[in-house]
Amino acid sequence: MVRATMKNQRREGRGLSRRRFIATAAAGTAGLAGILASGRAPVLAQTRELKLLTWSHFVPASDRELKRQAEEWGQQARTKVTIDTAPHLQLPAKKAAEATAQAGHDIILLYSGDPDLYLDHLVDVSDVAQEIGGKLGGWYNAEDFLFRGTWKALPWYLITWPIAYRTDVLEKVGEKAPDSWEDLYRVGKKAKAIGHPIGIAISHCDDANFQLRCLMWGYGASYVAKDGKAVTLNSPQTAETIEFMKRFFKDAQDPEVLSWDDSHNNRCLEGGKCFAIVNPSSAYESAKDKKIKIPGTERLIHEVIDHTLPPRGPVRRATTGQYNLLGIWKFSKNVDAAKEFLRFHYAEAQQDRFIAESRGYNMPFLQKMSNHPIWGTNPKYAFAKEIMRYTHPPGWPGPMTDASQLVMDLYIIPDMFAFAVTGRMSTKDAIAWAEKEIAEVHAGRKRRKT
Amino acid sequence: MSSPGVLRRWRPFLTGHLPVLPFVVFALFPFYHMVVTSLKSDAELYNPLKVPLWIEEGPTLAHYGLLAQETLFPRWYLNTLAVSGLTTALSVAIGLLAAYALARLRFRGVIAFGVAIFITYLVPPTLLFLPLAIVVNQLGLSDSLWSLVVTYPTFLVPFNSWLLMGYLRTIPKELEECAMIDGCNRVQALLRIILPVAMPGIICALLFSFTFSWGEFLYSLVFISSAERRTLAVGVVSDLIRGDVFYWGSLMAGAVLASLPIVVVYVLFMDYYVKGLTAGSVKG
Repeated sequence: MVRATMKNQRREGRGLSRRRFIATAAAGTAGLAGILASGRAPVLAQTRELKLLTWSHFVPASDRELKRQAEEWGQQARTKVTIDTAPHLQLPAKKAAEATAQAGHDIILLYSGDPDLYLDHLVDVSDVAQEIGGKLGGWYNAEDFLFRGTWKALPWYLITWPIAYRTDVLEKVGEKAPDSWEDLYRVGKKAKAIGHPIGIAISHCDDANFQLRCLMWGYGASYVAKDGKAVTLNSPQTAETIEFMKRFFKDAQDPEVLSWDDSHNNRCLEGGKCFAIVNPSSAYESAKDKKIKIPGTERLIHEVIDHTLPPRGPVRRATTGQYNLLGIWKFSKNVDAAKEFLRFHYAEAQQDRFIAESRGYNMPFLQKMSNHPIWGTNPKYAFAKEIMRYTHPPGWPGPMTDASQLVMDLYIIPDMFAFAVTGRMSTKDAIAWAEKEIAEVHAGRKRRKT
Repeated sequence: MSSPGVLRRWRPFLTGHLPVLPFVVFALFPFYHMVVTSLKSDAELYNPLKVPLWIEEGPTLAHYGLLAQETLFPRWYLNTLAVSGLTTALSVAIGLLAAYALARLRFRGVIAFGVAIFITYLVPPTLLFLPLAIVVNQLGLSDSLWSLVVTYPTFLVPFNSWLLMGYLRTIPKELEECAMIDGCNRVQALLRIILPVAMPGIICALLFSFTFSWGEFLYSLVFISSAERRTLAVGVVSDLIRGDVFYWGSLMAGAVLASLPIVVVYVLFMDYYVKGLTAGSVKG
């Protein structure tokens, strides 16, 4: 058997003429030299690679669904798609490093002010935005997403800040669900008296930034004008807001809110201490996942947590939230593939699953998707149908800019309230301090904290 | 037994152990709290009526299970071990050579070099990570563990050089001079005479370098993106802090397991470590 095989090989060897051998060898050498000279693999062996960086979503199933979509599209487009995640507070460092090194991911999660900050580093995605908007009923407040007149990012989803409150505590104090800040104060005062204070953070965290803007806007105050430049903080409305918060802090809150990070209010509600917090539905969902009980009872606490719209003030109901956007770096070698993937991800079928897997946490900026059935399946999410109407970018009534992001990152508004409610400054001085800080940000004299 | 006898018997405890006890409790409390939290069920963990310092409803390994099954924790462990081991060996070797040159050789600017190294150590990584990102990219090491092997020595080498410089100055010059009279060249004198004598200082530098590399966060966060290439500090935080939801039990389980190698290394080399730290503190 072995002998026969060797014989066949010899016969085949004899079949290769000298001329054919030389021609084959020359072609092979030329091909190899070409590959080495170009430094690239031959076309057949090349695989496109696309990388996307996002935050570690609080609902892990949302990340898994994104990865599933990436795999599905990757198979269709013969592209290897990698989805990387990082904690939300650490993403700015990664973005800064990638923009500096001009290398990293192709698609990146951006927060509200990032498209303005990285304007020169981002690809214009107007074509994709218009195409997607046209197919899915248009974008909510499309003008909010024009950065200096251009679509530098695609609105991805919004994370909203409704009131999450305990229905059992509400019954104990004989009240109805709070609708306004004054309601919240009145009910909160009674609830605190029976050991269940309200948890509105006045500290260096996103929660404080968002909740306190909601309060200011409700009372008709703002820190910047519509042009995004004139500082409008110093007003009787701001003073009124601070005076309200002084009462609220003293009568309805515990001093611990001055030291909170983003996780503290969740824990306060889940642990059974807080009567209410203003927060995304993460506290409710996390309590449900962890099967946390009301202290001293066998009843699961998520059963008595409900949500309602963020509180309205005497002037209006207006709130903000985390604006998540997707951008494509200009240094990406796969801009076309990135746009193709985004078209796939924003198709109705994919968005439908993406929202469902996030348990409704990902609120789309697309009109057609806002009627997703997920928000009808759980009455505790009834607020979701309306909240988009009242939600504005964090720099409202100004646009989303680098400056509006910096005012957030420096926690100027929470600090102003903290100085006043603790008595470290008078209301007037706290406003004057914050006004000066914000003016410096807008004048470009204030730099980001590292 | 007479009372002086009892007193004599208890004296070592009263004068030795008892005064140290508060410090031991203070030092071990975080570790104890980590272990207890990692073994509690979520229901107990979030119940403010339960005492946080012990387990009332029975221990659970669920948090360790989540680490093992739903994260790449074992992989991160190996990555961290590899990066820490390599960077420690590299930076101590470079630091030793630099320290020897600065402590022993006489050349113009030797003092200025020493001060420059110290100043380099004072530059915070938060300032360095952006220029280093460019270097890492140009070296083609983005999203690779080698990026950490290259960047960690930027803070480890200055520290080791400074630490070992102080230690080497306490070793009498005469030792190596004798060796050189007997025929050793400078490298042989360094390897055969100085190295064994300087072992406590070197071990101290090894321990510090290993600990710094083990817990380093910023460079690892910035230069590594893929989940399977993360180190422990970044991996645990990325997967177990999701927005405003913290997986406290699993975070503590990760912290307990991550601290074990450091504990083992310190226990093994404690004597050397103390000797190395204190050697330069008195004039010899």
